[in-house]
Amino acid sequence: MSFDGYKDEINEGDTVILYLTITQVYSIKAQPKIVNKKGNEVENVFQTPYGALKCGELIGKSYGTKISLSKGWGYVLQPTPELWTITLPHRTQIIYTPDISMIILQLELCPGSMVIESGTGSGSLSHALIRAVKPHGHVYTFDFHEVRAKTATEEFKDHGLASYVTVGHRDVCEDGFGEHMTGKADAVFLDLPHPWLAIPHALTSIKTTGGRLCSFSPCIEQVQKSCLMLLKLGFQDIQTLEVLQTQYSVQQRSIPVINLDFVKAEKDGSEPEKKEREMMKTVTGLPPASSPGHTGYLTFATLPPVWCRSLQISLNEEDILTSVD
Amino acid sequence: MEIDSDMSNTIKVGDFVVVQRQGYTKLHKVKAHSRLILGSFNIEMDNVIGEKYYDTFQMKNMPGNRKLYTVEKVEQTNSAVESLSIEQSGADNRHIPNNAESQGLTKDDIDKLKDEELSSNIIVEQLISNSKTFSLRTGYSQEKYIKKKEKKYFEYIQIKKPSIRIMGQMFYRQDPTKTLGIRIDDLSQILTYANIHQEGNHLLYDSGTSGLMPAAITNSIGSQTTGCLIHMHPGNECQKNGFVAMQFPIEQAERCINVNLYSVLRCYYQQKDSFSDSSETKSDTNTDQNLENGAKNNEESEPTSKKARLEEPNQKKSWQLDNERACKILDQKVDSLIVTAKEHPVNIVKALLPFLRGNRSLVVFSLLKEPLQDLYFYLKSRVDIVSIKLSNNFMRDYQVLPDRTHPEVNMNYGGYILTGFKLIC
Repeated sequence: MSFDGYKDEINEGDTVILYLTITQVYSIKAQPKIVNKKGNEVENVFQTPYGALKCGELIGKSYGTKISLSKGWGYVLQPTPELWTITLPHRTQIIYTPDISMIILQLELCPGSMVIESGTGSGSLSHALIRAVKPHGHVYTFDFHEVRAKTATEEFKDHGLASYVTVGHRDVCEDGFGEHMTGKADAVFLDLPHPWLAIPHALTSIKTTGGRLCSFSPCIEQVQKSCLMLLKLGFQDIQTLEVLQTQYSVQQRSIPVINLDFVKAEKDGSEPEKKEREMMKTVTGLPPASSPGHTGYLTFATLPPVWCRSLQISLNEEDILTSVD
Repeated sequence: MEIDSDMSNTIKVGDFVVVQRQGYTKLHKVKAHSRLILGSFNIEMDNVIGEKYYDTFQMKNMPGNRKLYTVEKVEQTNSAVESLSIEQSGADNRHIPNNAESQGLTKDDIDKLKDEELSSNIIVEQLISNSKTFSLRTGYSQEKYIKKKEKKYFEYIQIKKPSIRIMGQMFYRQDPTKTLGIRIDDLSQILTYANIHQEGNHLLYDSGTSGLMPAAITNSIGSQTTGCLIHMHPGNECQKNGFVAMQFPIEQAERCINVNLYSVLRCYYQQKDSFSDSSETKSDTNTDQNLENGAKNNEESEPTSKKARLEEPNQKKSWQLDNERACKILDQKVDSLIVTAKEHPVNIVKALLPFLRGNRSLVVFSLLKEPLQDLYFYLKSRVDIVSIKLSNNFMRDYQVLPDRTHPEVNMNYGGYILTGFKLIC
């Protein structure tokens, strides 16, 4: 229950972020007992490289404080959508914070917005969407995988977010978002294998006053089909982009310096015998040796209000015509 | 966010609007009898008043003045590519000479055409029929030519409502220094890493992003919510462009407290009694709060009461009230700290970090990497900051067309973002 609002103290059942090092960050549950694979209740112990942690002992501690482990220490933090994204259990490929940030800003979400998401996947984006639209907005998220939809529902409940989100088990390409969604959404997000099939349904779900749409696709062919569909349906401001984040390792480096002045003069014995090697210090930020070079293309578009959609369709025709040949 | 009433979608005098002509956008305040200069067009904007947002208008030349245009609402448009029929195309560019003699019309001829109040379609048609090389061009190249020329003479504008997305992209495109080099991806990440949402008190030091940063944070805090923003700036007045253009409801706009960095900190450290007593029970609340706030604040709480008390019975200036409001919040500590500064960030962060609660995040933006590297070492030397990350983004746009999809030819470079979590020590 630790996702809704700022908290100071860890309560039983809270999801807690255990921070050990920059690359060792985990999410754990502050509860003394856990049901193991065999169905028996056992003590909830989390094994870290610095010793075992009895999760029940976290209850009552303050978020943001240091905890001791047998061979070191760690810190407990309250989860944010960003920390959750790097620690959540993967049920699918997930969307990461650089893309998530862009999606939220470009969908123009703010508290009160109604947003549709499909598919739900592992809920990485959903948590950030919920944070952006609560308290009086709502996230409607759909997944065609029944178990995934169910797991997500339980997770949102467990995180104390149930009142801001509704999970639906639904194939939105086939069946749309449902009649109850007609004209309700300010924004629609699609992360689907065939997004262009869901775009007509998105059109009926967006408010008559207009709204924004985003489609996340790893492959350019998906993007091409989606863009064509968006043009046909009268969307405008269609923009496709990608964002990649590089994290730098800040270091102070010592670099050896070679002095070549002595070669110009003959040896006269006055030179010191063995000089210590000269070093120069420099501060640098090093990119990683290798990092992901692609996540997905983000396509954004605006659906104009009903009173100018037909005009927009006629404006878009030019682009469609030129794309026939 | 409820279904908008009719009026909120109507363009009214006093509204801030974004005028878009093809890829170009400009912020404009609608006034009675106002004009807008858009590239080489000087446009009389009266006819947009009373029409609806997202409507499209055609620019029409005013008789007698070549540069002056008026606008008329359109229901249907015809684009040049559709309406022109291209009779002949070449297979490649082997026969096209590389000189400036291919266009038969002179500049005067073209200006004349414009004078005759012809639509961009007709101008483009004339340009084509007077081009010696047009028929030699390939189909793709012809299309590109038409689009290029059409763009120059494109006579439609659309009126939109300002949003953080539109303004962020617009300011950056006009001049990146308008937003201190904060690109749309930088802005989006600053907001997420700082965990800006409907509740909490947030602290921003911004040395000039045309009001974009405070507007974006206020927008994320939302209307009818509890969140609050202290916006510290270095000058007498803060930059407000982006903020006023958002036209937030008063209730929401008032939760952004604009204060001068120096004067609010002076107030915090030197005029503690001006804000730490909310009621008549001065001494009581004072001691209570000091107990709560621990030793650090006690050191600083020597009141320079003479001045303050003398002025108190008289009306306080609004900036003083804002300072006091801000100090009250700083006294309770804040839930996020964002620094988007031209200045070197170390001293600013050093001065503002004491106000950040534990278990909360810090986000610092800089166009340069080196100052953030210095900040990295400073934060490392403190023991209360973890998860210190320095990053930047590669972002590029794509042209998406069947058989002609490729990255956009031009791209740009954003700045650097440092993030970290403060601990309770």
